[in-house]
Parts: sequence; C-alpha cells; structure tokens
Amino acid sequence: MNISCDDRERIFLDGTAEEWAGLEQHAATCCACAEELRAWKALSTAAHELRDYREDHHLWMKIEHSLKEQQRQHHVQRGFWEKLRAWGDLALGWRTALAGALVLILALSGVYVVRRQTNGGTGQDRLLKNSALAEVERAERDYMKAIDKLDEEAKPELDSPTTPLMASYKEKLVVLDSAIDELRMEAGRNPSNAHLRYELLAMYQEKQQTLQDVLETKR
Amino acid sequence: MGTVGLTLHWEHRISSVAGEGGRRVDSSGIAAGQNREQNTFPDDAAMAAGCLAGDLGAYERLYRLQGARMRNLARNLLGSQTDAEDAVQDTFLKIQRGIGSFRGQSAFVTWAFRILVNTCHDVRRSRMRRKEQSQENSSEMFPQLEPRAPGAHPSLRMALERALAALTRHQRDVFLLYEVEGFRHAEIATMLEISETASKNTLFQAKKNLRGMLEPPRSTEAGGQ
Repeated sequence: MNISCDDRERIFLDGTAEEWAGLEQHAATCCACAEELRAWKALSTAAHELRDYREDHHLWMKIEHSLKEQQRQHHVQRGFWEKLRAWGDLALGWRTALAGALVLILALSGVYVVRRQTNGGTGQDRLLKNSALAEVERAERDYMKAIDKLDEEAKPELDSPTTPLMASYKEKLVVLDSAIDELRMEAGRNPSNAHLRYELLAMYQEKQQTLQDVLETKR
Repeated sequence: MGTVGLTLHWEHRISSVAGEGGRRVDSSGIAAGQNREQNTFPDDAAMAAGCLAGDLGAYERLYRLQGARMRNLARNLLGSQTDAEDAVQDTFLKIQRGIGSFRGQSAFVTWAFRILVNTCHDVRRSRMRRKEQSQENSSEMFPQLEPRAPGAHPSLRMALERALAALTRHQRDVFLLYEVEGFRHAEIATMLEISETASKNTLFQAKKNLRGMLEPPRSTEAGGQ
C-alpha cells in the first residue's frame, strides 16, 4: 500500500489494519512520520499507567449488603401490590359481594357522621339527652309546686298591698310571671335547650326569693 | 493547563514497555482492533438473566469480571478512590433497580458501564454544585487526585492525570474508555450515546491535545522525508 505523510492523520483517526501496516512501512523511511507514530503509540502505552486492577473483596461485601437491603425493600413494596392484585383471582360474584359490602359500610359510616354533625350543636345551643330532660322536667314541676305554695301564702298581702313596698313586690312578681310564661313557651318549643332551662331556673329562684321577701315583710 | 509532563521525556522512559504497548497505538489499529474484537463479554446474557431473576450470584459474577475495571474507570473519572467505590456501589444498585428495563440492545456489561459513567458524571456535577455553593475560590474543577498504588512510571501517570483533567469531559471519557479500559468504539458509542464516528473523532482530538500538553516543544523539523 502506498502511504504518504498526508495520510498519517487520517490513519490515526480511522485507519484500517492495512493502512496502519502501510504507515509503519512508510515511517521506516520518514523521520517526521516515525516521530509522530512513536508519540502516538507512547500515549497508548502511557495510558496503561492509569490501570489499577487490584481485587477489592471488601467493596463487594458492601455492595452485596446494599443489594440485599434494596431487594428486601423491593419485596415489601411488591408484597403490598401483589395482595392488591389478588383481588383479580377472586370469582366475579365474590368480588361484587365484597365491593357491595364495602360500599354499604362506607354509606352507613357517612350517614352516621352526617347525623352526628346535624345533632351536634354549638356551645350556645347545648342539648339535653332524653333521660336528663325527663329528670329536669320532674324537678321543675316539684319546684313550681313549692313556689305555688309560697304564692298562696303571700296572695292576701299581694292582692291588697298596704305599703308601697308591697306594691312594688306585686309589680315585680307580675313581671317575673310574664317572663316565666314566655320562657316556658320557648322551652316547650325547644325542650332540649339547656340554656333556656337555666334561664327558667333563675326566674323561679328570683320569684321564690321575692315571695319569701313578701312573707318576711308581712311578719 | 500546564505542561507538567513536558520535561519528563516520558516517551523515552516507557520504552521498556513499548513492545507490548506498541501494539495498541491506534484508534482502530491492527493489534488493538484485533484485541478489541475478541473483547466480547463471556457469560453476558447469563449474567443479565441472573440479575433479572434477582440472583445475587449473578451480581457477584459481574463484580468479579468487571468490578476492578469499573472501580478503575470511576477512579480515573472522579480522581478519588472513595468516590469511585461509592459510584460503583451506586451503579450496582441502579442495575438492580433498572434491570427490568434492560432490553438487550447492547451487551449487559456495556449497559452496566453506561450506568457507571452516568453515575460518575452525576457525582461530578453534584460536587461542582457543592463547590459553587461553598464559593471556594478555585478554577480547578477536577479534584485533587488521591495517591494510589505506585506504577512503573509514577511521574508519567501523574502528568497524564493532570493532562486528562484539562481535556473536555467527552475527550476524557473516550480516552479512558478506549485507551485505558480497552473498549471498542461501538461500545463507547453506546455508553456515551454518541455515534461511532464521534467516538473516533473525540479520541483523535483527545490524543492530539494530550500530546500537545505532554510533549516537550520540538525544534523545527522538516515535515517530509
């Protein structure tokens, strides 16, 4: 093969085996090409200095450990998805039944939550349970009976008040009776409202106190 | 880049190994080409199948056959033995995670080296980001090279390492893969996702640049015979 100096770089870049042999032959008679060829070869030889292929079993042990750990984590994740995929192995009837049961459970849970939220009031609108309400109403009736007794005792004095004080007691009791009637009407419409019951109780206590004052004054 | 190696006259100092080294002189040369053609990976398909099946023995076989070469390449790319070992370990983990996506378009070993090269680039990128964040006032992006086992020509190796650091990333990758690790251009093209021709051109440029950095300035010579 006829090789000249002009072919050198092309052969360095992408020469065929024959072209390399031709360049070697040419370099035997050409100083410049011989020098270039030698330097080119020397670079490849020098590259061997960057080889350090010592065994390192310790590194393999580290790698093996991390591979096992990654494999274990992968199995845990895959286990979950495989369980989920096991649904597909069930018969269609069973799958429908299970899905139906799930929907039913979810619907019931939803209804329960909604009802709880509807019945659950604010702090101002606290509710009394049925048993507690019956107890309050019974106590209220007893209290009213006791007040009525006081009222009867004080009635003669109040019907014909002899002093301005007695007259003012009478007026106060009229106002209290009116407020009590109003509150009782309100409580009748909303029997579970504990706040109204407290108001009513305060009114009864005030009426009781006023009647006691009337009787005291009479004595 | 300095011309640290210029005064070494290293081309004379390595004459004792030139007989062996002289056979690997070219980009697709006579002896080198023949050696590279024979450089098929034994057990490649079996290793890939074993790894796919989750057989740790297959990974061990891959490490036994290629581990030293992987470590050496990572060390040359990163300049640090510790980083190189981390990169190799990370590569094995990535192989395990990604083996399901390996379709056999290339040899399994080539695919593994492609992952390694990318991992090393990631390490370098994050190292550079860290460097920028810490605002270290250094223009030298290649790390300080750690000392390693003494070779036949430690001064030559050091000069070569410094010169390699001055090359572009692609030139360095191709030079290391071809000249140091002995891969063929077709394999390098797959690893670096470039064409075979680009691999040859890059190697040619890399060697020209290295020569310029390592050779002592020559006296004017006649170009012809």
